[in-house]
Amino acid sequence: MPDVKYYDLRHVTGQVTHIDIDNGIVESAGTSFFNKAVLRVLDRTGWGIIQIDNFTPCTGRKFEDLIQSARKLAGITEEIVELGEVPHGILPVPPLKEDPRAVSIEEKSALLAEIEEAARHPLVTNRRANYVERIEQVRFTDSSANEYSYEMCRSGFNVLAVASQNGNVQMGFEREHSIHGFDLRHRQDAGKSAAEIAVSLLDAGAVKGGKMRAVLDPELAGVFAHEAVGHASEGDLISEGNSVLKGRTGEKIASEILTIVDDPALSEFGFDPVDAEGTKVLRTEIISRGVVNAFLHTRESLAAVGNGIAGHARAMPGEPPLVRMSNTFIENGDAKKAEIFEECKNGIFLAGSRGGQVDPGRGIFQFNAEYGYLVENGECTKMIRDVSLSGEILSTLHRITLCGNDRKMSPGYCGKGGQSVPVSDGAPHVLLLDAVVGGSGLD
Amino acid sequence: MSSFSTRWWVAVDWIEEVIREGRRSVDELEVFYVEGTSVSADLKRKNVNLATTSRECGLGIRTIHNGRIGSSSTNDPGTWRDCLAAAIASGKLATAQTWSGLPDPVSLPASPLSFDPALECDPGLARDLLGQMLEGAAEHPAEITAGSASLSISSETLANSHGIRYRDHYTGVSLSLEAIERQSTGYEFDHASSLKDVDPRNVGEKAAFFACKSADGKDIPTGDYPVVLSPLAYAELLGNVFVPALNGRSVHSGRSRLAQSLGETIADPRITMYDDPLLPRASGSTWWDAEGTPTRRIDFVRDGVLRTFAYDLKTAYRYDKKTTGSAVRGGFGGLPAIGHHNFIVDGERENILDERVIYIHNVVGAHTANPMSGDFSVEISNAFWMEDGGFEEPVRSAMMSGNVFDLHKDIAGMSRETRAVGSLILPSIRLNEQRIIGK
Repeated sequence: MPDVKYYDLRHVTGQVTHIDIDNGIVESAGTSFFNKAVLRVLDRTGWGIIQIDNFTPCTGRKFEDLIQSARKLAGITEEIVELGEVPHGILPVPPLKEDPRAVSIEEKSALLAEIEEAARHPLVTNRRANYVERIEQVRFTDSSANEYSYEMCRSGFNVLAVASQNGNVQMGFEREHSIHGFDLRHRQDAGKSAAEIAVSLLDAGAVKGGKMRAVLDPELAGVFAHEAVGHASEGDLISEGNSVLKGRTGEKIASEILTIVDDPALSEFGFDPVDAEGTKVLRTEIISRGVVNAFLHTRESLAAVGNGIAGHARAMPGEPPLVRMSNTFIENGDAKKAEIFEECKNGIFLAGSRGGQVDPGRGIFQFNAEYGYLVENGECTKMIRDVSLSGEILSTLHRITLCGNDRKMSPGYCGKGGQSVPVSDGAPHVLLLDAVVGGSGLD
Repeated sequence: MSSFSTRWWVAVDWIEEVIREGRRSVDELEVFYVEGTSVSADLKRKNVNLATTSRECGLGIRTIHNGRIGSSSTNDPGTWRDCLAAAIASGKLATAQTWSGLPDPVSLPASPLSFDPALECDPGLARDLLGQMLEGAAEHPAEITAGSASLSISSETLANSHGIRYRDHYTGVSLSLEAIERQSTGYEFDHASSLKDVDPRNVGEKAAFFACKSADGKDIPTGDYPVVLSPLAYAELLGNVFVPALNGRSVHSGRSRLAQSLGETIADPRITMYDDPLLPRASGSTWWDAEGTPTRRIDFVRDGVLRTFAYDLKTAYRYDKKTTGSAVRGGFGGLPAIGHHNFIVDGERENILDERVIYIHNVVGAHTANPMSGDFSVEISNAFWMEDGGFEEPVRSAMMSGNVFDLHKDIAGMSRETRAVGSLILPSIRLNEQRIIGK
């Protein structure tokens, strides 16, 4: 056994199958392969990490040499890294309803073409559909003889429609990605919906920026939870002093109706059977009834910060683990959707997401809706486009005053430290008072 | 350089075999092989917390048969036969298109454009660079939260069945530092192909300066203001919206707002935009593009007028155009696709800070801009009222809204200084009436 305080090795092999159809043309389709590993060693000070492409598992002298190279590399580190004690264990991967490997790529391509074709419309100038299927075999081992191996398959599609009229160009977008298996059958609705959104947006108006009441749909409210709360609760940022949530455990920062959770054990797109450093994954209530409850941790940030739960280490194949979210959501409240619109009375309804970004140290976030409507007297009226929201984490959370009971999760990817990992975000419909809305409209 | 020449022959040996084998089944094929090493060291607050080395390698194969293009990739070159079989299978699924052949070899200079022979992937050097950033940061009282220094050396080999055997070497150094002063953050970075072109002390000093100087910002009311966008803020908007609209494939398939604008004035007449792949020491410089077409300068916008779009072979053959040598690859696994090498915005330069303006160092959320229409609304960060070039009162928080395409017609001036932000090389720009939404 190598003579170091700690090591772990995460080796991931797999394959990615993709199909890209653009205006009826199969631009490309096929399968690629990868094999990547990352070895982390901790001895007297900080981490020595070796990333290896095309790794061949090894034992004995050869493995010992790798450990020693990593240890030598760690010689330039200064910080003494401690690791928290954590529970180990692996959850079963939910079974695939239909294994994509059992479907020929010709059939996949034909089904995707049906979705792309469904986006056809006289004003749609471009239809594009992509299928991605990623199968990973993960093997993890560490110096305490924890060993896990599992296989994950994630697959799904995106469909984009671009509508154009008199120099005005707008887009509609639908996506469906899942850990539950092949999902291309009978999905023409997605193509049709993308086209309808794109075409409707041609007549949408720009909103005038300023403060107003906003109803957020489950997808956008989920992105809000991810950007405004999730990132700021990541233990590495807390320990670096780069989050406004640092030192606020037990503090009430939101109204009592708000509970925000990250749960890698949930069978959604961000599911991990075990985290990237072998820790058992657990539901973590970041905000419990308005109070800062628990941070998201790796073993390192748990030891450095405390006040939270480990099992949130995630990594791309061959990359070192970072504290990341998995399935992040606002818990259901008890308001009905109709009540939320009634309470909003005059404001805006925002739906869908083009993504968001946060500066956790400054406590400022921004995110963008795909489309929305003006709300007048509790009813959706004129369609609006290109609406962003920005806000301050600590003041905005108090302004969520109603949560619906219709939570829905949406799949996506989250970027941090140059790594992109699958996540899902979700929420019920929520009401946000004093939303700061950015738009280029003049009246 | 002797180690390179040794590996070159080792590489060529099996690549020749891939080509020989592939030619038995397909009209043409192309083999791309990359290998590299890198080392990086990361700070957690002021201490080095981790050191990483990586060895990467990757093989990408593209086949063309009866106008059908197939591809596959792997980072296990030992399994190239499986990769070749997957590429050939992939080609059978693709829609056939007009195809007039991969490029033939030409004689190109052997000296690499973005390679520093003095650069070594030495962990001690990475640590020293972090130390110099921290020295620079010590000029201001901000806390350091995180930082990184990395060094890389790589080589790329491109071979095809028409006899192309190109190989080039690249080096890179990249630095970044994050700082915080109370609830005000500062971030700065630098990157170059050569060690002598980065300034670690300046990176540290600027990160700490912005964190300190932005503390105690004041709100501003909603209105139209004269603003200057730093190269960094400008790059966020340009890179997410404008540059992709010059992509020939997006243009011909109906995904670009500029599609109908060839020959029209799309920017202030003082503005020129071009791709210069041959700029010495710039990060995107290369003698040949990702499919072996010799690179050359591409003038997209001259004196405000849109002159051309970017093409690779596939798009050019399909739409009866000529390739502009714009093929790039997103790693070995990526198929060649249309991109740019060093995208430069240039034109008449002047002092754009002589009047009172809001200087915007960075923006948050530019990737959420509407890539089709160009409409954006982003949060601004490290923004200041600036007078005579001096940073005066910081703006606490506000959004900026507008349209990336339209604002190019309203550019009222470009700074004398330029800066490389990734593969974009840009000045600061001045806009006289920019909508800012206060809080």
